[in-house]
Amino acid sequence: MTKTIEGLTAESTEVQAAFRRLLLGLADTKRLLGIRYSDWLLGAPSIEGGIATSSMAQDEWGHARLLYAALKDFGDDPLVLEHEREAAEYASWDPLDRPLPDWAHLIAGVVVVDGALALALEGILEGGYEPLGGRVGKMLGEEEFHQALGAAWFQRLSAGEGEGHQRLQEAVETMLAPTVRCMAPGDDAHERLADRGLILPSSTLRYRLAERLDPLLERVGAQVPTESTLDNDWDARRGRGIGHPEEEAVVRARGDQNRALFVE
Amino acid sequence: MEEIVFDVFARKNRGDPLSHVGYLSALDAELARVYAWKTYDEENWFEMCIVPRSQIIPVNRTDGPFAKASVAEGSGGRSSSGSRTKATRGRRGKRGGGS
Repeated sequence: MTKTIEGLTAESTEVQAAFRRLLLGLADTKRLLGIRYSDWLLGAPSIEGGIATSSMAQDEWGHARLLYAALKDFGDDPLVLEHEREAAEYASWDPLDRPLPDWAHLIAGVVVVDGALALALEGILEGGYEPLGGRVGKMLGEEEFHQALGAAWFQRLSAGEGEGHQRLQEAVETMLAPTVRCMAPGDDAHERLADRGLILPSSTLRYRLAERLDPLLERVGAQVPTESTLDNDWDARRGRGIGHPEEEAVVRARGDQNRALFVE
Repeated sequence: MEEIVFDVFARKNRGDPLSHVGYLSALDAELARVYAWKTYDEENWFEMCIVPRSQIIPVNRTDGPFAKASVAEGSGGRSSSGSRTKATRGRRGKRGGGS
């Protein structure tokens, strides 16, 4: 197929819907991740860590905006997507439904969730869908620094058997499986896109994620799962588990408190 | 683990002189690299590099900042960009200045 918006429009509605689901899931996850990062602008273990977290929050919000804008090609109104959806409509990945309670969870979020998001974007870049190429390249350039920070802190916290190690281990255990399931669900929608060469197959994504993260994850006794179960708790429409982010985060994401002052 | 002081140098364009833009504290060089890029990002730098302060050899002064201890004290370093504050450094300015 021609990997342009015209080419995609000529595809079946199932393929278009699957690509829209993928992009909306990535956009919502980045928006929520930005909020979770922003919770630790203050209270980080060092001033420099807080500043870096602030910068990463801005990156994630910027990436989300670019992805919401890309959904215009699918008939969506980005303003509606960003400011008018209910929490139950969010397609953000499950591990971000609740705040990250401490720095160890934030670092696990950087390594696991942000790392998987970056890999999903790499899959899109390799798929060669033209309207996203330049935008995704820019995002991945910024993500390189997120992963460097995550890896350095992960190594530090996982060294020894202290509280940092224990908290990190708990965070990874909580986040890893649901993150991998959202990144590479292997359901019909995902594999439909992979069959058309628009993204990488789930098996390839999981293999690459394991190759990248397992040397770190093994420090806390974890590794990327090679398979996932799409049981009754899988919401195929949104490409995530049932449930949704807590209301307070969605209120912040939408900017409800300042809608009267809204400028666009 | 003690944090290490790193000095940050950058140039805006190819051929520009490398300028000292600030300093920071980090546990190791990899974190310092990230912190430098994320902290001193008010410009679209062509090139940025960091140097452990302990590796800088003073030439003509024994009372300058580079001749002092290279291990971080307290809550970290300060930007060398003087009194610029977060509010005055634009959208991406994140580092409070002054000391």
